[in-house]
Amino acid sequence: MTEDLTYPDVVNFAVPFFIAAILAELVWIMIKRRGGRYETRDALTSLLMGAGNVASGIILGFVAYGFFMLLWEITPLDLGTSIWVVLLCFVLDDLRYYWVHRFGHRIRWVWASHVNHHSSQHYNLTTALRQTWTGTFTFMMLVRAPLILLGFHPAMVLFCGGLNLIYQFWIHTEAIGRMPRWFEAVMNTPSHHRVHHGRNPRYLDANYAGVFIVWDKMFGTFVPEYEKEKVDYGLVHNIGTFNPLRVAFHEWVAIWRDATQPGLTMRDRLMYCVMPPGWSHDGSRTMSDGIKRKHLEAHPEDLGTPGFTDMAGRP
Amino acid sequence: MPLQILLPMVVIGIAGVVILLHMLGRSELARFEDEDAARRAWLREYPGTPPTRVILSHDRHAALIETAHGAGVVWPMGMDTTARFLNGADIRRTGDGLHVDLPDFAAPRIRLRLEDDEAELWPTLMERKENA
Repeated sequence: MTEDLTYPDVVNFAVPFFIAAILAELVWIMIKRRGGRYETRDALTSLLMGAGNVASGIILGFVAYGFFMLLWEITPLDLGTSIWVVLLCFVLDDLRYYWVHRFGHRIRWVWASHVNHHSSQHYNLTTALRQTWTGTFTFMMLVRAPLILLGFHPAMVLFCGGLNLIYQFWIHTEAIGRMPRWFEAVMNTPSHHRVHHGRNPRYLDANYAGVFIVWDKMFGTFVPEYEKEKVDYGLVHNIGTFNPLRVAFHEWVAIWRDATQPGLTMRDRLMYCVMPPGWSHDGSRTMSDGIKRKHLEAHPEDLGTPGFTDMAGRP
Repeated sequence: MPLQILLPMVVIGIAGVVILLHMLGRSELARFEDEDAARRAWLREYPGTPPTRVILSHDRHAALIETAHGAGVVWPMGMDTTARFLNGADIRRTGDGLHVDLPDFAAPRIRLRLEDDEAELWPTLMERKENA
């Protein structure tokens, strides 16, 4: 049994690269006068969220790691540490990322953690670092359990997860238009991920991929960037604060306020936690499919264009 | 990576980027060209609730919006904007305008820089529409 396996903490080692790339993107934008926007307080908030994410990993990382090591103790399988196993682990962990990310947009409890990543109205390399502080509380570490039980060592799984996050850094940019066609077909790219960050009705709930965009194509959530409609970044209902504490916790507070309203059934309270963002017990709010439907009612000419392939508003 | 290296690198990196952005003039607040721009900013947040009246602040950094469902404000979030209805808001005068406390954890307050006559008039309009 592989016991004392260690891999470098690649995300921490990538910090100098992140800073250098942000400066390079900023210089590019200044020189070319296109390719994105930077704003001081927005960037500060994103960077502080990134630092807080690292801190929360240091403080709370033992919870997930302890859980994974427990699984490793009980599994009889051990796939070893060959390069092929690492590659397979990377691909399967990316599939795991797709589903965690999709849950992150469709289950409000998980969205409460992920929402901060979408709370900027900008889309630049600092946005990539606007990461959650509360991921541990979503219990999404459970989705990694099958990988450990299949015989991938926890250290390898976390290493692959780190590489996955580093890959996703560079796609948070408007400085790159489209990559070569073969690359766009297989990999997640700036163009695909811009769509994911869009608050336009056509771009909601699309492109959950981490590294390989093929998962979205397989599971029916792929929407290409539409030349006729520029992506509008941010949340459907944009926040009005740069305070990192409010950014990190605002949706948790909103869930608490919704679920503790007087006069609700226990089922309603539970639904406020697990239904998609926009669900309400009295139907007074609108979920993403309703937003798409309303858009199509007002703009029927958009039917058949990316993000609106049927009247139900499915992509 | 040891914390002794990571921590200073993160602090210096964040401070450096922020100072650079400020020196490059990236700290300016959004300003509305005209009432139509404020109307569009409102509709971006509330597409189903069109304004019936738009009143720009003198410095064009904010606008009071009247709708069939009550009053709201659209104001800058850095170079961008956001908007909220004023239901349940606590509005008070300050030396240079108004301070609006909202019952919203994600948008807790709005600081409006207004001329004296605006600061006199706006609360009346805000409260009147709030009760509409």
